[in-house]
Amino acid sequence: MSRLLKLDGAAFGYGGRPLLQGVNLEVHAGGMLGIIGPNGSGKTTLIRGILGLIPTLSGTVTRPKRDLGYVPQRESLDAIFPLSVEEVVQMGAYGRLSGLRLLSRAERRLAHSQLTRVGLAERAREPFSRLSGGQRQRVLIARALMSTPRLLVLDEPTSGVDHDTELRLLELLRTLCAEDGMGVLLVSHHLALLRQNVPEVLLVDSGKVERGASHAMIERMEHCQHG
Amino acid sequence: MDEISWLERIELFRWALLAALCAGLVCPWIGSFLLVRRTSFQGIALPQISLAGVALGFCLLPWCSRVLGWPSGNPEAMLTDPHMAMNYSLVWGGLFSLAGLGLLLFFGRRGEGETARIAAAFALANAAIYIFARYAPFGRNEIEELLHGEIQFLGLHEFEMVAVTCACVAVLLGLFHKDLLLVSYDSDSARILKKSVLGFEALLLVLVALLVSVGTMTLGPTLLFGLLVLPPLSARRFARSMRQFQLLSAAGGLFSVVAGVVLSFELDLPLGAAIVAAGGLLLLPGFVLRTPRA
Repeated sequence: MSRLLKLDGAAFGYGGRPLLQGVNLEVHAGGMLGIIGPNGSGKTTLIRGILGLIPTLSGTVTRPKRDLGYVPQRESLDAIFPLSVEEVVQMGAYGRLSGLRLLSRAERRLAHSQLTRVGLAERAREPFSRLSGGQRQRVLIARALMSTPRLLVLDEPTSGVDHDTELRLLELLRTLCAEDGMGVLLVSHHLALLRQNVPEVLLVDSGKVERGASHAMIERMEHCQHG
Repeated sequence: MDEISWLERIELFRWALLAALCAGLVCPWIGSFLLVRRTSFQGIALPQISLAGVALGFCLLPWCSRVLGWPSGNPEAMLTDPHMAMNYSLVWGGLFSLAGLGLLLFFGRRGEGETARIAAAFALANAAIYIFARYAPFGRNEIEELLHGEIQFLGLHEFEMVAVTCACVAVLLGLFHKDLLLVSYDSDSARILKKSVLGFEALLLVLVALLVSVGTMTLGPTLLFGLLVLPPLSARRFARSMRQFQLLSAAGGLFSVVAGVVLSFELDLPLGAAIVAAGGLLLLPGFVLRTPRA
């Protein structure tokens, strides 16, 4: 399987000060990697580093140049924008469109098919802000799929949704891995969910990233969640 | 005014009406971006800041003419030449708009107190207008007319300025609508999709500053901020998509102008203020029907 993402001794931070150091990880085509850590542990910093939104302070990051899909935390998107569901999904094609180009019929069809894929085609004309948390998350996944990514990065996709919705979202991600050969990198603070559904999990804590869902790591994480 | 027929009034005030229609279409469109970016207060403060610049320009007119040699000739005579007066005011209004926007954005990045900061900018700009106007050897009448929304006697040159500015802003908004929307809604995704976030933020800033400076000098701050804020605020309540939101905003702007003209002619009100009052009517359905926000 081809490697889509590799971090080799990478350090990320702000204002030249590293918050995370010595990060090593790989994501392969068809693979799924979970990243877990308590609030404020640096998960978002890691994601932003991986996506190239903040500079790599040391080490190397090898990532796809264009074939990168990103699903942000839905709370980070302001509900004041009166966007319809289809408008949100169509935004995923904007990267291919220069100022002068309008959305083509093919791109509209692609948006519709991505919405069908996440099971929300019939709600295309509805206001995005009226959907439930899980539905909005699926719409954002459909938007990320518009750029036909090889690597999909999701920031807390299961935050604030019920257990059934969590499982359906993870099923959708597994399908993307298995059928499209997509690599998926998933950030969450929901330990039990990742342990049961994601084959490989990394822990982000105290400025470091540790590999493997070891017993000690789980205990520490549970301590963090309950303490 | 009672003896003048409607057709005669329209003929008499045609440049003001046409200028107001142009602004009624384009100001709410750009105002829709200000609203969803939660920067509507900029639409209130910037025209005041711009007018403070114009007032300072009138204050410094003799000095500019003597030391810089621009505008040339007798400064007082300059005011009788609408082209020269407009160009001179445009420079001052534009400089202040850009500087005001830059400062609001710069301090805005520091975080808290956005509303208070803009309110302070509004208050200071308002005070500056009156202080500068007090010391301005010429142009006090022009400043007062702008403040009161007396736009009835706009000439062809002012209309041309408004029309060209609105056309430029509309074309650029249309061309880069997708990018401006993406950058405003989700700047991280825009960066990942290789969009120049800084470039598009700057473009929006320049469009706002351009519209505000030209609008302030021709239509006055009252009309300008009314059209920037009221139609989008009303449209937001009913829109189910961004497309609907912007169409409803523009339609609301046009309604305000037409209804304002009727109010102004019937009740003998200043045209600019009447248009804003009519824009206030747009908010009524939202309050009365208590429609849940889309």
